[in-house]
Amino acid sequence: MLVKFYLNDTLVSYDVRPDEYLSETLRSHGIKSVKVGCNESTCGSCTLLVEGKPVMSCSVLTASIENKHVTTVEGIQEEAAKIAYHFAEEGADQCGFCNVGYALVVYSLKKTIKNPTDEQIVDYIVGNLCRCSGLQSQLNAIKAYLKEE
Amino acid sequence: MKVNEYYRASSLEDAYQKLQASPKNAIVAGGLWMKKMGQSYDSLIDLSKLGLDKISETKDEVIVGSMVSQRDFEDSKIVSFLFAGAPAFAVREVMGVNFRNLATIGGSIMGRYPFSDVITGLLPYDVTLEFYPAQKMSLEEYLNYKGKLNAILVAIHIKKGEGKGFFKKVKTTALDFPIVNIAVAKVNKEYRVVVGARPMVAARSYKAMEYLNNGGKDFAKAAELAVEELSFMDNKDASKEYRVDLAKVYVRRGLEEVSK
Amino acid sequence: MAIDKKNMKVVNNKTHSIDGTALMQGKGKYTDDLAEQGSLVIKILRSPHAFAHIKSIDVSEAQKLNGVALVLTYKDVPHVSFSRAGQGYPEPSPHDKFILDEYVRYVGDEVAMVAAIDERVAEDALKLIKVEYEVLEPVLDFETAYENKSVIHPEDGIKEMFPIGFDPKKNVAASYEMQVGDVEKELAKSDVVVDETFYSQAQAHAMLETHSSNARLDIHNRLVIYSSTQTPFHMRRIMATTLGLPVSKIRFIKPRVGGGFGGKQAFHGEMFCALTTLKTGRPSKLVYTREEVFGASYTRHPMRIRMRVGAMKDGRINAIDCRSLSDTGAYGEHSLTVFMIVGSKVLPLYNKVDAVRYGGLVVYTNHVPAGAYRGYGAIQGNYALESTIDILAEKLGMDPKVLREKNSMKEKETSPIFEIMGEGTKGTAMIMESCKLPYCIKRGAELIDWNKNWPRVKVSDTKVRGYGMAIAMQGSGIPFMDMGSCSIKLNDGGSYNVTVGATDIGQGSDTLIAQIVAEELQTSVDNILVYSSDTDLTPFDCGAYASSTTYISGNAAWRAAIKMRERLIKEAAEYLGEKPENVEFDGKIFTSKDKTVSLYDLSVQWLYNKNLHQASVTESYFGHVSPPPFMAAYAEVEVDLETGEYEVLNYVTVTDCGTTINPMLARGQVEGGIVQGLGMACYEDVKYDKKGNLLSNSFLSYHIPTHKEIHKLTSEFADSYEPTGPFGAKSVGEIGIDTPPAVICNAIYNATGVRVHTLPITPEKILKGLKELKK
Repeated sequence: MLVKFYLNDTLVSYDVRPDEYLSETLRSHGIKSVKVGCNESTCGSCTLLVEGKPVMSCSVLTASIENKHVTTVEGIQEEAAKIAYHFAEEGADQCGFCNVGYALVVYSLKKTIKNPTDEQIVDYIVGNLCRCSGLQSQLNAIKAYLKEE
Repeated sequence: MKVNEYYRASSLEDAYQKLQASPKNAIVAGGLWMKKMGQSYDSLIDLSKLGLDKISETKDEVIVGSMVSQRDFEDSKIVSFLFAGAPAFAVREVMGVNFRNLATIGGSIMGRYPFSDVITGLLPYDVTLEFYPAQKMSLEEYLNYKGKLNAILVAIHIKKGEGKGFFKKVKTTALDFPIVNIAVAKVNKEYRVVVGARPMVAARSYKAMEYLNNGGKDFAKAAELAVEELSFMDNKDASKEYRVDLAKVYVRRGLEEVSK
Repeated sequence: MAIDKKNMKVVNNKTHSIDGTALMQGKGKYTDDLAEQGSLVIKILRSPHAFAHIKSIDVSEAQKLNGVALVLTYKDVPHVSFSRAGQGYPEPSPHDKFILDEYVRYVGDEVAMVAAIDERVAEDALKLIKVEYEVLEPVLDFETAYENKSVIHPEDGIKEMFPIGFDPKKNVAASYEMQVGDVEKELAKSDVVVDETFYSQAQAHAMLETHSSNARLDIHNRLVIYSSTQTPFHMRRIMATTLGLPVSKIRFIKPRVGGGFGGKQAFHGEMFCALTTLKTGRPSKLVYTREEVFGASYTRHPMRIRMRVGAMKDGRINAIDCRSLSDTGAYGEHSLTVFMIVGSKVLPLYNKVDAVRYGGLVVYTNHVPAGAYRGYGAIQGNYALESTIDILAEKLGMDPKVLREKNSMKEKETSPIFEIMGEGTKGTAMIMESCKLPYCIKRGAELIDWNKNWPRVKVSDTKVRGYGMAIAMQGSGIPFMDMGSCSIKLNDGGSYNVTVGATDIGQGSDTLIAQIVAEELQTSVDNILVYSSDTDLTPFDCGAYASSTTYISGNAAWRAAIKMRERLIKEAAEYLGEKPENVEFDGKIFTSKDKTVSLYDLSVQWLYNKNLHQASVTESYFGHVSPPPFMAAYAEVEVDLETGEYEVLNYVTVTDCGTTINPMLARGQVEGGIVQGLGMACYEDVKYDKKGNLLSNSFLSYHIPTHKEIHKLTSEFADSYEPTGPFGAKSVGEIGIDTPPAVICNAIYNATGVRVHTLPITPEKILKGLKELKK
């Protein structure tokens, strides 16, 4: 079936199976920045934004996003670089597999909640697993990014 | 998981007719963990065009569309005024935001999952489910309903009132199902006690509630009554004995909290 | 000669990861991102039985399915036993695995392989394979495995490469015994003897990128494999031997890797990709599902460890006797090496004993195979020993910190164990040239306010805070066995290509290597172009394991940079008409008296104008010693006495890893290790059903720590300089993971009086203990 949606503000039209998930659709169209860590709605690596909200793309049927706006990390390159700066400052970056999901979640957090509390930040990022870092460094990096004007 | 057709329903009647057309047709809610279940479907029926993703209120109740996401439910101003937001406490404990933006309140209820936090969190309150074709039943009636209900959940009605609520999910880490979950509330001066994930689906403890609502003041005793009345079992996550111990402590602590 | 850290401009200075921004921007290419368009997709049919013999297997229906390119069973693949462990040669692991076999030895073991045009066709084809099994009685309790009537490896053709105690007829993969002095005599003399047994679980690596590989043939018909691996060179060798190919026909490339932690030291799908591409001529790929990573790759070795420790009333520890039983699961990967480290990287902590003994068995069971996992052996041994030391301290009426200070390793000391025990072989004697453990203990105690808080602080009638500690050591590579190498090539303009075999699996070794070379050549990191881990293009390296990269590969890079610097000065001296000893080089300009020439000019001239040549060097390094990093760790936990639930409020560590080449990445290694260790200590439970099915096989049933569990990590480093390390560095990749099980166990005991002898330390176990105490 043909599904039309906005990929980083560009209207695209992909021919997909009715049971195809968004992570699969995007990767098969060359958007390899979408990382699939568990493919079962848990680890958060595949997180991207649909209508500005972070969702796990391994669990979104592509058919369900007709006419919606999808943001991958390609759509927030400058913000991703700023987030990367703070991750590096805190020593929070390692293998990078979860980082793209973090970039999108953290960007969305900054857009959604002004001056979030630590509890709100943790609540917002807890659905993104990371096995490399000590997690605290990530949290500190994210806090520094959120403070940026 | 295999699906032959993705069907965007144009009306509730349209969705209902499609659902009747084949036993292998199903409504798709949030779609989480669907592929883990590994089933095949003829048609998946999408309700997203039907405006079921709104939260509204009347003088007496809050009406939550079945397709409202868990995240929108917990963020809702309207819900925040309902028992100081207590019916949403449980939702906040479900996985992460990237999950709750997809998961719907309706999907969480319809599955009657034994591990549901959402159901435990709502059960202390006066919750009525509205179905299509026109039919209403309380959340508790639905939990006890035998067999599969051949209807589409349209909305969840939560009756307004005075009081406060408590919810506790005992878990290993944040991305976990509950080992046991406990919801306690005081609704218009009436105590409500619910224990879920025992590991069976949530249930009210009428013995505890009867004791408390007839002047019983000993919360530890109420907690004892609750664990006597409700059944508990072992599974891989915890023993029956541990679940009982946890339920006793948190029913008591919940009652202490809501009675303040 | 020690180099003053104050003079270092790049090393030991804050330096951002060279790939960090690109990875955050989604530009990093991991293995599956590099699979050829149109690759055949490989799926594996896995055993539903814990132990069975395949009586018959019929793949004809699967082969007929439209879109299926290849189906392989044990009848179609070379019957050559090998070890998937991904170790050097000859391996200290038994060769007990065939690519496919007529026996299946755990639920998840490979039965057959399908390659098809896409994943769905491959999955449909798996369902069409008809297998008739003769179900055998499995061994699912490792304490009953030894000499069990069910023999897990009855087949012919399996072997040990040199004596490791391999005795498959008794279900023994490896065994080991050693003794210094007379342990029984010393224990008998001791005023106090404690005797405690601990159990540790089969922790899962849970790296976020699942095991992935893909293959294609290049224009020379050579096999080119991208693999998410820690050991590309070992892979090439093992694959060549097993498939009967010359090494020259195989190229392994390691792109970005999404975490390894030891799990990617081994083979997972590479053999199947190679066979598919060789047999069909078509590109192929295999990406493990998350369930396959949990249920069909590797785990940590579960162990039972009995510690007997004897001491005199004054707190002098006389003797340690340690006996272990290790469960290697269905195959014996790393069976001996993990087992030996329980002794070799744990027991020397208390080096003043008169006698020490270590030994026991590594047994086969019908569980998911165990393999390498960060801190292997050390974390199991540390849990047992450091818990036992606390028990001993209580019996002696001593502060466990004081007991440790009195008995633990100090600078310029040694332990006889170093010479006796290596990894699978004899060890290497060494003196601790750098050991700031006493400082680490003292400083950690200050940071947690030990003297005020230990053992517990009451918060309320139901809440109490407990404080616990432990010390740990690791190693830095395997002496005379692990080798790394580095080539440096000067480009016109003065930048350098640095090629290394060193395997960056996310820990940041590319950045570290760039820093080391930049420091020596007095340039900036962005002038160093690192390319790593491609068996065609980079020099050899053993790979990322055994805490070897900073020390071994880092030393190789340092040596190459020193040599390049000498070479440049020599050639600049010729240009200037001076003696090399009179030429100074500041990274950009060569100066001798009043004459100068820039590196820029020289580098251009050498390629285009005068004295035409390519300036390049290659150096390699292997360790003569394995200097251990040390750590002291402390934790504050708050326990709910009514439910047993607890939270780790603060985890304090002070680490001696020599110079931190990259202080932020070093902290990342320590803290990342701690959080994995906390996972093992607190949350990560492994559960099987009675038939041997792994129940904890997803992130929903196997719980790694999330942001909500980690509250505060306080991490400091000791000022330390290891004379044999690059710019004074030792390793730091594994040390962080070692302490949490013992520290949390001790802290929970101090809070509640409950000693948990089985990992993980769950609230349910604590509450059960509390109820028993009340009886």
